[in-house]
Amino acid sequence: MNAVRLIGDGVFSMNGREWSLLVACLLAIVIFSVASPHYATSGNAATVLRNSVELLLIGLGMTLLLAMGGIDVSIGIVMGLAAIAIGRVLGADGNPLLAIVVGPLVGALLGCVTAAVVVLGRVPAIVGTLGLLGVYRTAVFVLLGGQWLSGLPSSLTNLLATSVLGVPVPALAIAVAYLAVWLALRRTPYGLHLLAIGNSEEKARLSGIPVIKVRFITFVISGVLTGIAATFYVATYRNVEMTIGSTLALDAIAAVILGGTSILGGRCSLIGTVLGVLLLRILQNGLLLIGVPSLWQPVVTGVLIIGVLGFEAVCNGLPLGRFQRARA
Amino acid sequence: MTEPFLVVRNIAKRFGALTALANVDLEIRSGEVLALLGDNGAGKSTFIKILAGAHPPSDGELVIEGNPVAFSSPKDAAASGIATIFQELALSENLSIAENVFLGRELKRSILGIPFLKRKEMRQRVDGLLKELDAHISDPEAPVGSLSGGQRQAVAICRALNLNARLVIMDEPTAALAVAETRKVLALTRRLAARGCAVVLISHNISEVFEVADRIVVFRRGRKVAERLAAETDHEEVVSLITGAHPDVRALEKTN
Ligand SMILES: Nc1ncnc2c1ncn2[C@@H]1O[C@H](COP(=O)(O)OP(=O)(O)O)[C@@H](O)[C@H]1O
Ligand SMILES: [Mg+2]
Repeated sequence: MNAVRLIGDGVFSMNGREWSLLVACLLAIVIFSVASPHYATSGNAATVLRNSVELLLIGLGMTLLLAMGGIDVSIGIVMGLAAIAIGRVLGADGNPLLAIVVGPLVGALLGCVTAAVVVLGRVPAIVGTLGLLGVYRTAVFVLLGGQWLSGLPSSLTNLLATSVLGVPVPALAIAVAYLAVWLALRRTPYGLHLLAIGNSEEKARLSGIPVIKVRFITFVISGVLTGIAATFYVATYRNVEMTIGSTLALDAIAAVILGGTSILGGRCSLIGTVLGVLLLRILQNGLLLIGVPSLWQPVVTGVLIIGVLGFEAVCNGLPLGRFQRARA
Repeated sequence: MTEPFLVVRNIAKRFGALTALANVDLEIRSGEVLALLGDNGAGKSTFIKILAGAHPPSDGELVIEGNPVAFSSPKDAAASGIATIFQELALSENLSIAENVFLGRELKRSILGIPFLKRKEMRQRVDGLLKELDAHISDPEAPVGSLSGGQRQAVAICRALNLNARLVIMDEPTAALAVAETRKVLALTRRLAARGCAVVLISHNISEVFEVADRIVVFRRGRKVAERLAAETDHEEVVSLITGAHPDVRALEKTN
């Protein structure tokens, strides 16, 4: 008996949700290939993958945050700030190794700031990070002085656009990050504590879990991943624009929820996040190629979020269930 | 009489203007089942949360085997050998049985300075405990959310046993259980005491209390109003102590 098992324990455990996402990705690819002659080219496939790098890294951190019952809506602008720091370092002496260190460092620092507000200051994560979003937006504007940071030297690009044993460095970085996050989540006490906090912070506390420490660390981890994402961003585009990262948080939250991580915490799927990111980027790219203006991209993301959460609410029978219980 | 494992001296707890507990003195002995009785809101849960390190007391002190202790978290209390099974059970429904039993004090091995879970050892240990308890749960990998009330209680007791607790506190462990499961939990309570554990049991069921308790303590409106050896009192007297009809309680409440 007891066929029930905890889901998503293996490195690439796939359940119904993940398989559906995979099918959705393939279906979207087929439809777009038929609809646009420019779609099914190796160049376009590379573009989609290239456009997924930052979101994959940030999505892994967002998965941890949501699984813990947290969230960070300022994460896109955090990447912007880290990118500015990297740009400044590159612009000054062009040392790419220094630039590689600066990204994660600034990310970690900003993660500490977020944690200080949300964890130590006990401000609800959604409110605290919304406040930080406002502050950081202005910070980006002031730091850039209303101009793009552009014409950065190619030293960082040369370092990160290469391949190691035929594997592009970004893919390698994502694989390492994925494995590290998976190990932390499924094979260390930290992961258990994080999931317990996501289930119920009070119960976690009563079980003797260092709740504050675990929550703090998770915001820092998310910051570090975001800093790494910034490094790849700068390496690819060699400029930092005023609107950097403005839709990233929305995209990340959408992809993670799409992947089967609970917005209420306690349950998550890392492979689901990866597939969620890919589906989102495939849809955004495909719609662009069949002639939908990029203005509509956030609409697609927004509709996906609302659709998934609405669908889950109906499946869990939440509104009806509550109603029945209230009457009983 | 043996030396008490835990002495509670003049404990009080206030939540803002509300005094949930005042002037509680109590001795808790190893090998003894102590039952806490009292009406809803009498302060029973608050009292054991103080013993469990979940609330700091507003006043008073706890002394374990002669040494005063101050708990700033449930982890501290656990380190002093106090395991608590809360009314709300404090289990994580999204984690497995084995993970719940070890939650907060996992077995781990360090690889390159990173603590990794010893999953197999934890599973085997929990398997053994579940068999010992005769809990009829065959798979320690099952999520706690899929278990019945009695099975969850067994998991919570496993947690306490696994801690090698010297004092096990249970807040209404049988409240949500069917008759057969209640029998099992009560038998378990006696077995814990026979192992030399001190057991504190909160219950609303007085016949149940007489079945397992050595000593009975009654709380009323945040005070300890009576303490009796189970052998020297009866159902009727205990009821009058709880309701306040007993002359002793009346006298006490008049003086305050
Ligand atoms: N965290 C809290 N904050 C404020 N008041 C509380 C809290 N916990 C308990 N109380 C109050 O303390 C009193 C005792 O409650 P409790 O210890 O739960 O009683 P019992 O377990 O005996 O039913 C009640 O009046 C209750 O409302
Ligand atoms: Mg209670």
